[in-house]
Amino acid sequence: MSQRILPLTLALLLAALPLTAQEPPAPDPRLAAAAADGALAYVITGDPQTDETSEQGLSGLTAALRARTTVEPGTPVGVDLDQDELSLLTFLYWPVTADQPPPSPLAYARLNRFLRSGGMILFDTGDGDLAGIDGPEGAALRHLAAPLDIPPLAPVPRDHVLTRAYYLLSAFPGRHRDGQVWVEAPSASAEQGALGVTNDGVSPVVIGGNSWAEAWAEDEFGRPLHAIGRGYDSGRQREMALRFGINIVMYALGGNYKSDQVHVPELLERLGREQGGDGFAPSQRLLP
Amino acid sequence: MSVAGWTLDFAPLLGWGLVVGLLVLALLAAAFAWWRGLRGWGWRLAAGLAAAAAMAGPMLETGVRRGLSDIVLLVEDHSASQSLPGRAAQLAAASEAMAAQIAARPDTELRRVTLGDDPDGTLLGDAITRALAAEPESRLAGVIVITDGQVHDPAALPAKAPAPVHVLLTGQEGDWDRRLVIEESPGFGLIGQPVTLRLRVEDQGAVPDAVAGRAATLRLSLDGGDEQTVAIPPGMPLDIQVTPEHPGQNVVALALDPPDAGPPQLTELNDRAVVRIEGVRDRLRVLLVSGEPHPGGRVWRNILKSDTNVDLVHFTILRPPDKMDGVPVDELALIAFPTEALFHDRIGDFDLIIFDRYRVRGILPPQYFDNIRRYVQGGGALLVASGPEMAGVESLHLSPLGAILPARPTGRFLDAPFRPQLTDAGRRHPVTAALPGAPGGGGAPWGRWLRMGEVVADPGAEVLMTGEGDHPLLIAGRAGAGRVALLTSDQVWLWGRGFEGGGPQAELLRRVAHWSMKEPDLEEETLSVSVTDGATLAITRHTMDDAIGPVRITRPDGSTATLVLEPEGAGRFSGRFPAPAPGLYRLAEGGLTRVVAVGPAAPREFEQTVADSTALEPLVAATQGAVLPLSEGVPDLRTVAVGRQAHGQGIARPWIAITPRGAEAVEGLAVRPLLPAWAWLVLIAGLALAAWLAEGGRLGSRRSEVSGVQR
Repeated sequence: MSQRILPLTLALLLAALPLTAQEPPAPDPRLAAAAADGALAYVITGDPQTDETSEQGLSGLTAALRARTTVEPGTPVGVDLDQDELSLLTFLYWPVTADQPPPSPLAYARLNRFLRSGGMILFDTGDGDLAGIDGPEGAALRHLAAPLDIPPLAPVPRDHVLTRAYYLLSAFPGRHRDGQVWVEAPSASAEQGALGVTNDGVSPVVIGGNSWAEAWAEDEFGRPLHAIGRGYDSGRQREMALRFGINIVMYALGGNYKSDQVHVPELLERLGREQGGDGFAPSQRLLP
Repeated sequence: MSVAGWTLDFAPLLGWGLVVGLLVLALLAAAFAWWRGLRGWGWRLAAGLAAAAAMAGPMLETGVRRGLSDIVLLVEDHSASQSLPGRAAQLAAASEAMAAQIAARPDTELRRVTLGDDPDGTLLGDAITRALAAEPESRLAGVIVITDGQVHDPAALPAKAPAPVHVLLTGQEGDWDRRLVIEESPGFGLIGQPVTLRLRVEDQGAVPDAVAGRAATLRLSLDGGDEQTVAIPPGMPLDIQVTPEHPGQNVVALALDPPDAGPPQLTELNDRAVVRIEGVRDRLRVLLVSGEPHPGGRVWRNILKSDTNVDLVHFTILRPPDKMDGVPVDELALIAFPTEALFHDRIGDFDLIIFDRYRVRGILPPQYFDNIRRYVQGGGALLVASGPEMAGVESLHLSPLGAILPARPTGRFLDAPFRPQLTDAGRRHPVTAALPGAPGGGGAPWGRWLRMGEVVADPGAEVLMTGEGDHPLLIAGRAGAGRVALLTSDQVWLWGRGFEGGGPQAELLRRVAHWSMKEPDLEEETLSVSVTDGATLAITRHTMDDAIGPVRITRPDGSTATLVLEPEGAGRFSGRFPAPAPGLYRLAEGGLTRVVAVGPAAPREFEQTVADSTALEPLVAATQGAVLPLSEGVPDLRTVAVGRQAHGQGIARPWIAITPRGAEAVEGLAVRPLLPAWAWLVLIAGLALAAWLAEGGRLGSRRSEVSGVQR
């Protein structure tokens, strides 16, 4: 029987060859649009309520970005890790639920390439009010993230770019505000991250449990969808959550831009000094 | 010739113990006999000794020896410095005369050692050491070295030789030479920063009075440009400042004018020098202005920050002037865009300005764009990567910068996936030629990009890559003395992300950036030349055109020649040109010129040219030889005994001597017993018989009777 199958397989392969030489199919228009306008993306977990919150949250963040900054992302897109091409995206919000099925090995390969080539994932366990990352969501996160090439992590250092990418922040509240946020541990050489100097020292993942999407989420009239804290603090914490959202998007898009801005005045100063202050004077020709 | 000689050797038949035993026995027996008054004790002793001697086995060795001829080494220095006028004839005559005189002597062999050029100069010490090591020391009768004495490896000269070493110096008494010495020359220099050359003019030999102490005229030119003259006194170091003007090799040609009085100097080859200074750029300063944070923004940062040769000054417009959120300034991490410092005060300090998706939104006043335009036209570099804003009213093309951008937007923005393609020009242009994965080449095809702006390229600009519908994607143009590159899509980052396999994004952007900063390796029109095989110019021309004119070559003496280069495909043409005479060759084709210096085949040979035996004198003195100038004639050859002074003044001319050694070789050896065994037997038996007869009175009785009679 196998003798009959073999020529058939060969014929099929030969028939498929000219196809591979042709133009590949057009990319998913949703993702192509996301690539064009830098839309924020979230992982579809399969839990309808979580996915809706993610969508609403990223919409709220998108609206804030459009209102306040030069970044004007398009409509947020939901990403099916098993199906969708990640290389068109830059920022991926991944809410972790306790019973989330892990993606396929192929999806992990795509995720790892995404992390290596400059993408950023914000993992949100949503349990910042309870037990840090030791609850059932924390366990699920560890399980989900195990196959990923994630560098050693550390709590966000006080002077991390996340604290000054756009707003000055000392904490990163979401709907909860006590959860610890983790980024890639600072390596020995400050400018060089675990993925090498080609990634500009940018942490490929940010991990926390402050349920940011719930804090960002708002309805079509701009009213918050989830209650946060009490009284005046409520509005302030929501504002801080948005500021964190803006900072992380700036960090994902601009990398360590803000950390080398510290050196700019010094660099300009040095430029002037080396040139003796007279700038672009044409160099003197040969003189004895 | 044979000489016979012999030696005695012993080969005991039964070991020395038995011989000694016999000897002791014979002595004891003889002593006993003497004590007893036996008359034959002497005979007994003789018989015992003979027996012991027989047991010791005396052998006679006969050797056959042969007398050996003497060897004379004749070392001839044929290095390039011996080609100076008159020296070759002197060398030939002296070598001929010496060889004839040596050949005329019986039992004397001549070994000639010829020394040629070496890149390190005249390695005479090494040659003499090797020649000495190759000959048996006991046969060497003399070493005759014919040279100008310029030894470049004096440390390799032996301290002692087994025979007299004579040096016959070529050259004339009145030889003199003036030379140019480069004492200090840096191999690298920052462009636009003067570097210091330290020079000295040195006079050697019998400098004529008309020249001594007078300043020489030094002409110097940079890259074959206008000559400048400087008066430089001999013996004084002089510092000269030279400014490398461009990246790559800057050729400084230096030449002394020939002295206008007195007898001619030995050579003018050492009156010229060429110093090559590699022009290097200081750290490149790149100003990157991002109009907004976008997914491709980090691509630029990653490329520029991983380049250790680049100082990056990066500004991103994070908040447009028209958006205000009421957040107090002390809660914001934003700093003001120091536009005046960047685009007015310091603009000339940058080697490259990149506008990445920059949108004209009133942050930069028009006069700053004018500044940028002037900066580019004055030799700066500008790189624009634009997204959809290019097609709108906030386009950079509508600012004063639009005048120098190499394309004009049509206002359409194409939202369709396309695969970037190289144009014919792109396949030839150093920026895009041989990019990994280029269509038509090997490797995986490039991934697609998803959108681009539609532009019409300027006729004078080169379109290197095209995208959707063959619209220009990457355009390289020039503005005045500067360069401008335009990328009409903002999605080069998809290559970096590996979308559909991605593409050589980092390499492409790196090359574009460095091309705009005029890196010599990425020039479109190049004329390069190198000197190969000593005296051939290998000329290569790379061009964007299909055809080139002949290369005009100006030889050092001012005569010109033209050379037609053969096409090698993809814009490369090459050819070879013989350049026998040393000096500067100027090449020109189109607007390109190159200067190449062809040095003498053995430059070290002409550093010192006046004959000088200083280096050889210790060896000559140690072997009691002589240093004689050939300008006074070829000396006679005599023989003296070993250890005697080996030179002197004859009636007609001086003489040098070799020392015959009388060495001999042993050719054979014959060994035979001193006496045959039967002779030993007869001898011992005869002596024993004589003892017996003497004691029996038959031998000694007569003698005793006679004595008795006398008594």
